[in-house]
Amino acid sequence: MIDEELARRVIAEALSRGGDLADLFVERRSSYNLRLEEEKVEDNSSGSEVGAGVRVIRGESVAYAYTNDISEASLLETARVAAAASRGGKTVSIYLERPLESLPALAEHVVELDPDTYPREEKIELLRRADRAAREAGPHIVQVVAALGDSRQEVLVASSLGEMVRDTRVRVRMVVQVVAASDGEIQTGHETPGMLAGYELFRLFPPEQAGRAAAEQALTMLEARPAPSGPMAVVIANGTGGVLFHEACGHSLEADAVFKKASVFMDKIGERVASPLVNAYDDATLTNRWGSFCYDDEGVRAARTPLIEGGVLLGFINDRKRSWRDGTVATGNGRRQSYRFVPVPRMTNTYIDAGDAKKEDIIADTPLGLYALKLGGGEVNPVTGDFIFSVTEGYMIRDGKVAEPVKGATLIGNGPRALQDIDAVADDLDFDTGMCGKDGQAVPVCTGQPTLRVREMVVGGTTEVM
Amino acid sequence: MEKAAGLQALALQWMEKGRSLAGAGVELEIFLQEHRGLSVKAFGGEVESLRYSHSRGVGVRALREGRIGYSYCTGLAWQDVERAVEEAAANSRFSTPDEHNILPGPGVYPSEDLGIYDAEVEEEDSGRKVEMALELESLTLARDRRISQVETAVYADSVSQVAVASTAGVEGYYRHSDCYCYVFPIAREGEEHQTGFSFGLGVKPSDLDLAAVAEDAVERAVCLLGSESMASRRTTLILDSFVAAEFLGVLAAALSAEAVLKGRSFLAGKTGEAIADPLVTLVDDGLLKGGPSTAPFDDEGVPSQRKELIKAGVLQGYLHNTYTASRAGTVSTGNASRGSFRDRPRVGASNMYLLPGTGSRSDILRQVGDGVLVLQVVGAHAGANPISGEISLGALGLLVEGGEPVRPLREITLAGKALDFLRDAVALGGDLRFLPFEGSLGAPTVAIEGVMVAGRGQARS
Repeated sequence: MIDEELARRVIAEALSRGGDLADLFVERRSSYNLRLEEEKVEDNSSGSEVGAGVRVIRGESVAYAYTNDISEASLLETARVAAAASRGGKTVSIYLERPLESLPALAEHVVELDPDTYPREEKIELLRRADRAAREAGPHIVQVVAALGDSRQEVLVASSLGEMVRDTRVRVRMVVQVVAASDGEIQTGHETPGMLAGYELFRLFPPEQAGRAAAEQALTMLEARPAPSGPMAVVIANGTGGVLFHEACGHSLEADAVFKKASVFMDKIGERVASPLVNAYDDATLTNRWGSFCYDDEGVRAARTPLIEGGVLLGFINDRKRSWRDGTVATGNGRRQSYRFVPVPRMTNTYIDAGDAKKEDIIADTPLGLYALKLGGGEVNPVTGDFIFSVTEGYMIRDGKVAEPVKGATLIGNGPRALQDIDAVADDLDFDTGMCGKDGQAVPVCTGQPTLRVREMVVGGTTEVM
Repeated sequence: MEKAAGLQALALQWMEKGRSLAGAGVELEIFLQEHRGLSVKAFGGEVESLRYSHSRGVGVRALREGRIGYSYCTGLAWQDVERAVEEAAANSRFSTPDEHNILPGPGVYPSEDLGIYDAEVEEEDSGRKVEMALELESLTLARDRRISQVETAVYADSVSQVAVASTAGVEGYYRHSDCYCYVFPIAREGEEHQTGFSFGLGVKPSDLDLAAVAEDAVERAVCLLGSESMASRRTTLILDSFVAAEFLGVLAAALSAEAVLKGRSFLAGKTGEAIADPLVTLVDDGLLKGGPSTAPFDDEGVPSQRKELIKAGVLQGYLHNTYTASRAGTVSTGNASRGSFRDRPRVGASNMYLLPGTGSRSDILRQVGDGVLVLQVVGAHAGANPISGEISLGALGLLVEGGEPVRPLREITLAGKALDFLRDAVALGGDLRFLPFEGSLGAPTVAIEGVMVAGRGQARS
């Protein structure tokens, strides 16, 4: 897209009025989206996008400018806008006197069935397979929406640190949403298989499986009774349950929140912040996982970062600015939605690691509680750690057995307190895909966890415990 | 920035070129968008970030024998657009035919000034805009000694231009400016911290009252200090206007005819029914003067209009674009909506708001007597389901006894059905305010009877 010499000139222009660090991010993205609804192919859309952003960092201040025009003249002009915005007139601490060094492109996440050459007819058939499997689940299934998206994102990052990297990310994801209705009651279910890979995704996750699982979830919830309210033990199933850790703790482990004193984990490195059963990681190197990459959006090599081990807080995830300002190691978590955004510290694939217990034993050991099989999204206040999550598929646990399904349940609590209250962790680690939002930017992430139990959490429902 | 006439001419020119490229039997729509913006974030008395944006893009919709294909590209050169036209036409071959896929014909757009553009946004010096972000932060910090810091203070503005042209005869152009500011203060006392939030919104920088925004945000944070949970109970909720507007997001989604036609709305089949208390009138007005989502036409070129969706509690109808209107045997309400040039038009609210009643929030509290004043909800995206109408959210607020707030509340949840909330509305204040984040939703203070609130305390019936 851009050669080393032009990148060097753009960065030099960006630093022409001073600054500590400057970088250039160039992106070319093509994407294809399909949507099957009411058994009709409705959305059949492809697009291509090109853009570049220039950033100048001076102390804690960042100036950023972007454009869709990546011609030489436009890139230099964009650099001048960023330079002018970063006024203040301090001397340049790092300047580019030698040529940029290109690091080798890496091929750690192999793509077998390339989205660009995979036939459109086949893509449509994948959606039809998910749709049929969902509709075959029973007469109460009234609506199925199956959507498929693939994208190829080629990025180039060059910085005044003297390096230039390229990374190509091919991603495919399917979203199946099923609506079931009976006697005026409406319930929904959904599944979202996705990978940093090509269409071989569906060998591992056949569309029928996604369709059936989403349908069964909706049908189960049709039979559900209103959830009870009040404090009780909560067993959170593996896979989607990881979203709780992501939201309630993960965001508070991002170094920008810590810097702004907007994190419950501020000043707690080396302290016990969780039950000794808890080991947690952020790992962008997991092969072909939805949240993985080779280099982050600032050109830092992807890494596996320990967050908590044995219940002790080990570190935070950061971006270039925070690692440089805080004097810590860059963890490779500087991510952005696209060239239109300034990179900020973001999670990649974040998970609580497997323990030794068996799921069956954990449930058998719970006299009364809630079994949260699927969690929807949630929200957290990073300053206080208070969170709320909706349970999209939940059951009561009575006398050590999974009992009746319940609907309308939410989990309400506090991240650090819930971490301390984890009293059992199973050996069945699994992952789920999501799009994480922060500062108005969405990036692909995986959340993961094994089955685990929190001694007590407040369940918000519409009835009293019986 | 391209000249007005230039952008419109470009859309027409490409529509004509595209028409000959795609050949006979293919109808085309060109949607062109140009956007320039500035956003300033202040933190710790410094500029945390200053972002200039400039983007240009084209969305192409191709229609062939009832089959729709879509494509988009960035840049404004014909060779980019040419490829997008070819892609859209190719994509259309793979779509399922549907007789209701039609491009709207020409419409008559309002000639009066809609109050959606002011040159001040472009003329005001960017240095002054930077100062506004810094000033918002310092005003917020200075307001109350319990404000330990400001997590984010932002000033942002943008000017965008939209041009649409189609082979069906649509031809339109408008220019739009907006500017807003918002602040998240953190209040601390001992070990406890609470966050607040407020914002200002306008079409030009001088519309923003920074001091009022700072005061409101600080009040919302400090009033929650000392909060505790409460025992579960059924009680009257008094929704702050921000919270009530967030709840309208559920209604906006459920009132989309697309959701209704496709079995994804709890409001399907209820036209003509009394679904809400007679106090409730819900309006969607695409022509609201100076409104955040006001424009002469919608995102496929159909003239904007005002309509009452719920009138004195009775559901009047749904939001339509050209496709859903044809399927339902009615006419478009001018509610075609797309996120950007990257998306094909779907259905969305314009300026949707609850017609206000009378009285301040204090008046409503006195009228209600005992209840819970809800100031913040958490989990609105996950906990409010527009398909089933089920709502289950975490909340922070104030316990109200004898018409007065008596203590702050945290770690409570609200649960119920949106239809019950509408039916059990008992009072609406006169303090209508628009929330800029979910499209443009506006509500006053709203009181609702008999809602289950769960907390950590001992349950009682």
